[in-house]
Formats: sequence, structure tokens, C-alpha cells
Amino acid sequence: MLAEFNFKKPQSLGEALELMAENNNGTRVVPFAGGSNLMLEMRASGQGPDVLMDVGALQELRSITIEGDSVTVGARATVSDILEHPQMKQYAPALVQCAGVFAGQMVRNVATLAGNIGCGSPASDSIAPLLTLDAEVVLQNAGETRVVALNEFFTGYKQNVMRADELITAIRWNRPQAGTSNLFYKVGRRKGDAITVVGVAVSLQQDNGVCSGVRIAMGAVGPMVFRSKKAEAVLQGRELSKDLVYEAAKVAANETSPIDDVRATGEYRKHTVEKVVCRLLLQAAALID
Amino acid sequence: MSSQLQTGSNVKHKQVGRPLVRTDAPGKAMGKTRYAGDYVMPDMLHSVVLRSPLASATLKSLDISEAQALPGVVCIITGKDLPEGMAATDIPGQTGRKRLDTDSQILVHTRVRYHGEPMALIAAETKAIAEKARSLIKYDLEPLEGVFSTEDALKPGAPQVQGKGNIIGKHQVRKGDIDMGFAAADHIVERTYNTQFIEHAFLEPEVGLAWVNEDDVINIRVSTQVIEHFRTIAEAVGVPHNKVRIMGAMVGGGFGGKEDITVEVFLALLAKSTGRPVKMVYSREDSWFGHGKRHPYKITYRTGVTNDGKVTAVKVDIVSDSGAYVYLSPYVLMYCTLASQGPYRVDNINIDAVSVSTNNMYTSAFRGFGACQAAIAYEQQMDEVANVIGMSPVEFRRKNYIKTGETTCTGWPIESAVWTEQCVDQAMQGLGEPTKPSGPHIRIGRGVAAYQQSYGRLTWLHDTSECWVGVEMDGTVVVRSGVTDIGAGQTSALGQIAAELLGVNLDQVVIYNSDSAVTPLAGTSTASRALYMTGNACKNAAMAIRERFLTRTAKEFGVAADQVDLADNKAFVIDEPEKSMSLRELIAITATEGIHRSELVQFNAPFSDPIDPETGQGRVHPDYAYGAQAIEVAVDTETGEITVLKSVAAHDVGQCINLAAVEGQIEGGTVMGLGYALSEEMIYKDGQLMTPSFSEYLIPTSMDTPQEHKSIILESRSGLGPFGSKGIGEPALTPVAPATANAVADAIGVRVMDFPLTPEKIVNALKEAEAQS
Amino acid sequence: MSELKLITLKINGQEESLKAASNMTLLEALRELHHFEVKCGCEKGDCGACAVLVDGEAVDTCLMLSWSAQGREITTLAGLSDGENLHPLQKAFIEKGGVQCGYCTPGMIMASKSMLDKNPNPSMDDMRVGLSGNLCRCTGYTKIFEAVDCAATEIRDGGGE
Repeated sequence: MLAEFNFKKPQSLGEALELMAENNNGTRVVPFAGGSNLMLEMRASGQGPDVLMDVGALQELRSITIEGDSVTVGARATVSDILEHPQMKQYAPALVQCAGVFAGQMVRNVATLAGNIGCGSPASDSIAPLLTLDAEVVLQNAGETRVVALNEFFTGYKQNVMRADELITAIRWNRPQAGTSNLFYKVGRRKGDAITVVGVAVSLQQDNGVCSGVRIAMGAVGPMVFRSKKAEAVLQGRELSKDLVYEAAKVAANETSPIDDVRATGEYRKHTVEKVVCRLLLQAAALID
Repeated sequence: MSSQLQTGSNVKHKQVGRPLVRTDAPGKAMGKTRYAGDYVMPDMLHSVVLRSPLASATLKSLDISEAQALPGVVCIITGKDLPEGMAATDIPGQTGRKRLDTDSQILVHTRVRYHGEPMALIAAETKAIAEKARSLIKYDLEPLEGVFSTEDALKPGAPQVQGKGNIIGKHQVRKGDIDMGFAAADHIVERTYNTQFIEHAFLEPEVGLAWVNEDDVINIRVSTQVIEHFRTIAEAVGVPHNKVRIMGAMVGGGFGGKEDITVEVFLALLAKSTGRPVKMVYSREDSWFGHGKRHPYKITYRTGVTNDGKVTAVKVDIVSDSGAYVYLSPYVLMYCTLASQGPYRVDNINIDAVSVSTNNMYTSAFRGFGACQAAIAYEQQMDEVANVIGMSPVEFRRKNYIKTGETTCTGWPIESAVWTEQCVDQAMQGLGEPTKPSGPHIRIGRGVAAYQQSYGRLTWLHDTSECWVGVEMDGTVVVRSGVTDIGAGQTSALGQIAAELLGVNLDQVVIYNSDSAVTPLAGTSTASRALYMTGNACKNAAMAIRERFLTRTAKEFGVAADQVDLADNKAFVIDEPEKSMSLRELIAITATEGIHRSELVQFNAPFSDPIDPETGQGRVHPDYAYGAQAIEVAVDTETGEITVLKSVAAHDVGQCINLAAVEGQIEGGTVMGLGYALSEEMIYKDGQLMTPSFSEYLIPTSMDTPQEHKSIILESRSGLGPFGSKGIGEPALTPVAPATANAVADAIGVRVMDFPLTPEKIVNALKEAEAQS
Repeated sequence: MSELKLITLKINGQEESLKAASNMTLLEALRELHHFEVKCGCEKGDCGACAVLVDGEAVDTCLMLSWSAQGREITTLAGLSDGENLHPLQKAFIEKGGVQCGYCTPGMIMASKSMLDKNPNPSMDDMRVGLSGNLCRCTGYTKIFEAVDCAATEIRDGGGE
């Protein structure tokens, strides 16, 4: 049975932020966009917020804006919007790859990046690609706007730095520099509409065979999606070779703390994340025979 | 995606065999078809079930007072209200004889035996109120030690669930002399294969609507494969058999999961108690608990073989988990037992099978009915043995195929054509050139599997089916039959058969089906029997009318009856087509002369006595279908992921009635089989369901289908069905999972013995193999 | 109990009203209004049986609240055909054998429509990806792909629907 709640549908961002401010007065107001996570939670737990705030009328948040190298994705832009955007393959290659294996069409048509980030599931597909793009989260409350690096956004399992009255209004990042390879791969228990067992995104920039920039992000192998900074450090500034990549992949896998669940054991996840990190890095560095 | 058809002789049909648009398709594609859940009535109540959250417990108390006080709650029924509330779940047969002690409690009295067992029924003015009331029922469940594996259940002193020592069914076969057979063998290969709990995952959860009419007849509109449960329902609620009427509707998928009673008894009780119409719509969560799963089986094969590839002896040991209640488990076990010889000649074979009760979810019918598990084991074993003697799997099979006229393991001769060899060869050829691996970590593998699968029910169940056919004054045709249409085109096929014989087009036929009060009872849509049994009844009924029409036409034109025919709405002399009249004219003549234009026919399957319980020898099934599946896979040796590249199915269907429908069965069976082998598993941990959603129970999606699929359809015209057809509903599924497992083993050089073949099991098997070498 | 309100939904071009609780899903509302062509399979967005178009895009109605759907254009399977004049997708599903039990068909056709509206010439891979949120247990998807491909050709060649 779906939980009970009061329903509000603000007509402007200002109105929405005023509603969010109610969170400071003991009323729990939760923003509602695609519902692909929230509806399931409310059905499973039977528990709902005091106020469910439908952000569907906030047209200003559905935009994807490209200015020069910078892209800003409004909080209501859907995964389908990303997948179908003609320039997104240049601005976020791994994110587009991810969007193509993200749930099914109907969920892609409503699910948002902001919702993925706000929910913060460790198995969330889109967070790893965004981490490799050094994405930033734009947070707004009735008083101010602040920007938090996605890399500093999560603090633990489904925990983040957001204040109770804040709303994610946009995600933004800069397009990868020329010559950067940005890749995503997800292992699931089946090919279509699968929950991620291991999700990996990498970005790699090289300068005459030397790694001049690298990001390695991994999902479903810890309490949150995270970057392996140790593995990145193995590669940064070094001449790329297969052996170096093998080492980095090992280091990355060692940073994970995966759990056992119905989909796979932690042991398998640890094994597989190393293989996938390795494979994506070799592919990015064009080191495959 | 392609299909090719090969026929054995040059029989010409006007309707039969063509890929005609099914009569049920337009309504479904336009959204006009009403399923059982799409009916509403004035004054209708909505109902829900309260289920046990524990798998093994004692119900100490159940307090409904708060729930009952909720405004809008009309009726709450608990086990206490049903002192004799037991529902028999025996196979619905036409013999009226009860065979096994298969009763299960309708609602928990005191003992909870499985997770999700119903404890109370609530009917209220709205579904929301009923759900709210359910949350207000207070109960005290005291956990009891349960038993959750067949091994534990068979241990001395194990908690008792059902039967004696938890054994609810046993079968055995003794044929030839296995000691002599093993003595003659050069190699003896022993392997154990394990299969998992599988869920039907029909898209339409169980649903029904019941009301009591002015004659005190309890009417139930329900999604079911079996309308003849009305007798069992009547006995469960204590009314005469003729006071329960079941009306089906188009069924949103069954696959065996709607073979047992689901919501019918609950609805009958609530409608009888309240005097108002009551609807019950299972949620997907209810559905996981609401019908029996496919049994996990543990099957051990010990095969004796000579160096030149002749099987000399086979010993099979079978253990199945029947879960907390008996349902159809003993019969599923029997089907598995008798299928476990496979399509191979084995002169010396002993089979011992046992079905064991546990506190897991109960298990029952599922497309393939035990034969799938048998095939998964015998076809993997054939590859393992071939590997041991260093022979190709196809060559090894070729040396051992059972041939037309030879006998099954029960000693009964097979009368219809056995085209296993053609099917295996063509399926393998259909794979074409091997695919090149797409990377250094990718390995390609190929596998094949054949089968012998019965169609029709056990011959000692004395299966019958009725059908009525009538011709209207304007030449349109009416077919009436109790057959349920579970999506495979069961009704449309009847229309095609009647149209063929009466010389009209399919769109001139209307078919009324699945109403236990007004359509002649046709038996179940199970066991790949609907076309065989009801198709024959329909054919014989149409044939009776046809013969009267031909006789009258012959008289009209002054020729012999074998010189006239009916086609294209005309009656005519075959060699002198100018001598013809319209069907309408002919009907007007028959009406004037009182010639009977309708016919009710009962078709009887071959009847036999039960097999000898000691040796298992005797007649078991009316007939068997044969075919094969070949699969090519790519295995990622690093992640363990499997991609199905190619699939070729080759089946002898006897005779296609509707080519598109046959292809549909094969394509659907293929993908269901891939799910069985690769991704599907109902996981129970200490009896608790761990996979209660479609994001955890993983049936194949559009992205999981083979990249290429081909259906090769052969027509031996040797089957017992109408026009020589055989059943294809279950055979389409049977060889797929073992062929897939054989392809995976071929790719990676080791075999995973436990289904499903998850990426993790592949990785672990490869690691183990590496450690050993 | 949740707040009840009279809401108006625009379904297949017609305005229809009902009393809905704030937690009533669009799926429940549509079936309450006897749009039985919208099927319920899982209520979790896993199966796609309940898909309709909302403002032209396929959505799972079990994940959308009825109150949220006010003011939006809702198209169900029944809204695709104009009387007996069927949409090319409906015709193709009928003729190619894309329908078996038919329970997934309404969602499958609406998801196909949404996909073709955005991509009139889908590759095999596009179709596999586009329909991966719609489970079918009967057909193995083969004839569904054939039907969508056939309808896409007809729509392109016919210069419209």
C-alpha cells in the first residue's frame, strides 16, 4: 500500500523553496520528480513524508544548457533527455553510455539525474559517470545558492551534505578536454533493465603516453558511489602501460568494500570491479592489442 | 529472425497451417479485450489476503476487532471460521476419483507452513479500506523450527511438514539389467545436476470476481487455466457441484501457474458470506505467494558407455522439493521420472525418484511439468559423457537416438514419427559459421539439446474433451468449448479447424469458451493438450456436420459424396466446379429438410490402467513430441557475463495449425528457456522469499534475447492431434536451457552444475579450473 | 486516510473527473475510470504493462500520481485508434503475431509509439533498448520487433500515421 501524504505542486521555484523551508519547522517536505525511487520506497515502507512536493510544474528546471565548454542540466531533465541530446555524446560520453543501459524507457522518461543524486543509492548508475566529469551539484534554498562538488557531496550510505531545506536545482560540468577518453560499463544480472552489480566509469587524458588526468569512479561496491583516488594517483603523471593499469585496477579494487546481496557476493564484485576498471582503462589508453 | 517450414507430404489445406491472424489478436491490440480483472459490478466489494510473514510458525492468536471496526470493512474471514476448511488440490480429472491426499488448508488454523500462507480474508467497500484493515489485524506468531532443504527434510528427526518422513511422492522404473549394462561399459560417468525454484511470471497477476445469483449459484469470473475447478471449489465451500459456475476470460499468461486454484475459494467464501459481488486482485507481491513455483530438482545420472559411444546402462536418482503443500508435486515427479530417459534408447535403466516436503514455498505445475528438469540433466549428461569418450556431442547422440517404433523406458512403443536426428542436425546446421570472439576475454561456445516430451495427460487419468460446433443460417459458424485461452491461441486454433472443414473463412467463426455452465467441458489448458484434445473434439464435431453437408451436396448434383467438397463458402463437385452452390443455399436446403447442422463431440484420449508401481512399465502418455535446440553464446571470462548470440530451434510439430502461433510458441519458449538457464531464480533463505520483485526475479527483457533466432518447423503429420499435429507449448521450452548450458560449458571448458548460470558462478568455475590446472 | 479531491484528467482528448486520494496513482485512476486497456503488472515500474503516453512520452502510470497528471495529455492504447481505423503499430502487432496473451500489449505498443515518435527508423539495437522496460513472457519479443519494424516502415512510407 502506498504511503499517505499531503500533495503540493508549486508553480515556481520560489514557491518550491518556500515549501522546502518548512523542513526547518518540523514538517518533512520531500521533492518528487520521476518517482522511480520514491514511489517504491513509499510502497515498501508504507511511510511517506508530511508533504510530497511535485516539482513537475517547474519548467525552468527541465532545461539542458550548453555554454561553451560548460553544460548545466536542470534538476528535472530526465535520463531520456540526456540520451537524446545531440551534443551530449561530446559533453558526457560515459553518461550517455550509462543512460543507454539505465532502467527501461518509461523510467528513463521520468527519472532525473538530480533524483539519482538526491537518493544516493550506491547502485545508482549515473553517479559514477558524473564523478568522472568532476560534476558539481547546485543547491538552493530560499536564501542562497551554493555549489558542491559531487565528489564531496556524499558522506555515507544515502547520506549527503544537503541541508534539510535545500533543493538540487541543477548539475553542471565541463566537457572533457580534447583527447580525453570517458567510458562507462555496467555489469548486471541481465542485460536489460538491470540493477547494477558493478558499475564503473573512467576518464583518462594522456599527453604523449603520459597520464595527464584520470578519474576512476565505481558503483555498487561500497556504501556510496566513489572515486578511487589511490588508483588515480597510481596513474597520474606516469607513463601508461599495461602493467601500470593492472596495478591501478588492483588498487581500485582494494578500495572497495562491497556487500553480499541477492545479486552477487562481495567477493564477486571485488573481482569484477578490478577487471572492469582494468578493461576500461586499457580501452581509454588504447592499450588493447 | 527467420523461420522455415518443412512438410512431410503434399497435403493441401485452405486454413490449417497458414500464419493467419488469430481471432483474439485485434481485440487485444485495440485494448478492447476484457480480462478477468476488467469486470466490475454494482455494489462490488474489494478484498485482500493477510499472509504470514514467517515460513514456519504457530498462530497463537489473531485479533480482528480493530480491523472489523474500521468503517467500510464488511467481512473478515479467518481459519476459525472454517472448521473444516480444507481445499483439495488433486489433479482435476474426469474420472471423479480422488487419488492422493493433497488437501491444504484454505486459511491457517494454527500451523503456518510457508512464507506467505494466507491467514485471513478481508472484504471492504474500497481496496484502500481493505488494505488498511489488513494492517490493523493483530496476530501472534510463534516461530517453529522449520526445514528448508530436501537433505535436511530427509534426516531422521527432521521437523515434519507433509507425508511420512516428509516424503510425498515416489516413483521408480526398472527396465533391463543395469548391473549387466554397467559391466559392459568401458566408462561410467556420474554427475549431479541441480535446478532452482522458478516463477511463472505471467504478466497478469491472479484475479477474480465472484457473486451469488438468484439461484444461489456462486459465479466466479477468474483468470484460470482450469474452469473445472468448480467441483473442488464447491466442495471446499460446502455447496453442490452445480452451484458453482466458473467463467474464464482471456488469460494474461498461465504457463502452469494458473493450473491450481488461486483466488476462487477465497472469492466464493467472501461472496457467500456477504451476499455481494466481491473482487480480488492480487498484487505482484501476492502473486509470488499465490501459486506454486517450479520445483528445484537434484538429479544424478550414472551412465555406462562403450568406447564407440553406445549407452549400456543408466541409473537416475531424482529428488525434488515439493515445498510446504503437495499440490501437483507427485505428478510432476512422475513426469520427470518418465522423461529422464530422454530421446535415447536405453535398454537397461533404473530410475528412483522422490519428492520431499519442506517449509519452502510450495511447488506445482510449470510449463514442461518435470520434463524440463529431466532434460536439463540428461542433455548435460550426454555432453559430459561425449566429452569423456572424446566424441562430438552430436555424433554421440546419433549413436543412441530412440527410433520410431522403439519403446520408452516404460516399455511402451512410440507410434508417431521420431525425428530427433533431423531436428538435431538441422538445428546445428542452422547456427552457420561460428561467430568470431569480439575480444581477448571472450570465448564462443555452442551447444545442442534434444528431447522427448509427452503431450496430453497421463493415460490412466482418462482424459476427455468436448466441443460443440454449429453452422448458422447465413453460413457463419459457432464453436462452443470450455477450453481456456491462455494466450497461445487455443480458441483461434479451434476456429481454424472448423473453418477448414466447413469451407468458410476464419473471420466467419465465433468461438465461445471457458464457461463451466454453458460451454461443453474441454478439460484443462495444460500438458500441451488443448490442441490435441479439444482440437480433435472440434475437428470431429465439424467433420460430422461436414459429412452431412457433403452427402446432401452429392445428392443435389447426382454424384458420390467423395466427389464433392466445401471451400470458399461453396459446395461443389471437385472435378466439375461449375456444379456448385453457395454454402447459404446448401444450409437452406438442410434447414428445410431438418438435417442437423450442429454437433457435440467428446474426444477420448487413449485410456490405460496405471503403470506397475514396482517396475514403472506400461502405457503412460498418449504420444510424444521430438525436436532440438542449438545455441551459440559468448562468455566474458573476466566478468562471467553471457551473451546469447544465436538460437536455432527445430521441432517436429506434426502439423502446424497456425504457423505464426507455432513460431510464437517456439520464440517465447526459447526466451523463457534462456531465463531458466541464465538469470531466473526465486531465492528462499530459511523459507523467506528474497526476490519479491521483477527487479530481483529476472525474466529476460528485449535486450536479453538472442541476437539471431531461427525456427525450423518440421511436419511429420504423425501426431495424435487434428491433422496429425503434436503439442508444441511445452516442447518449445524443454531443450533451451540444457542447450544453453552445453554452449556455456563448450565456451569455457568447465561445467557449472547448478542452475542458473550466473556471472558469478562462471567466474568461480573458471577460477577453480585454473587452480586445478 | 489521505486527502480526497475531485481531479480532472485529459484522457484520449476527453476530460474525465474522479475523486482521488493524494496517494492514488495514475494507474489506479485510469482503471477507476474504466480505462481497462491500461494493465497493472507490478506497481513498481519494473514491467511496463501500465505504460501510457503523457504529453507524448511513455511513462509507467504506477510511478505517477494521479494528481500530478492533471493538465497533461494522457493517451492510452484505446486512444491510438480512430474507431476501426487502427494505428500502424496496432495493425502490425495483429498481423505479425506480436500479440499472444495480450497483457503486455497495451504498454508494449505505447512504448513502441513513444520510441518511434523520437526515432522513426530504429535499428534492431534501438528497439531492444527502447522496449527493455516492457516485460513480455509469451512472445520472446521476436514478433514484437518484427511488428515495430513493420509499423515504422509503414509510418515512414505513408508519410504519417
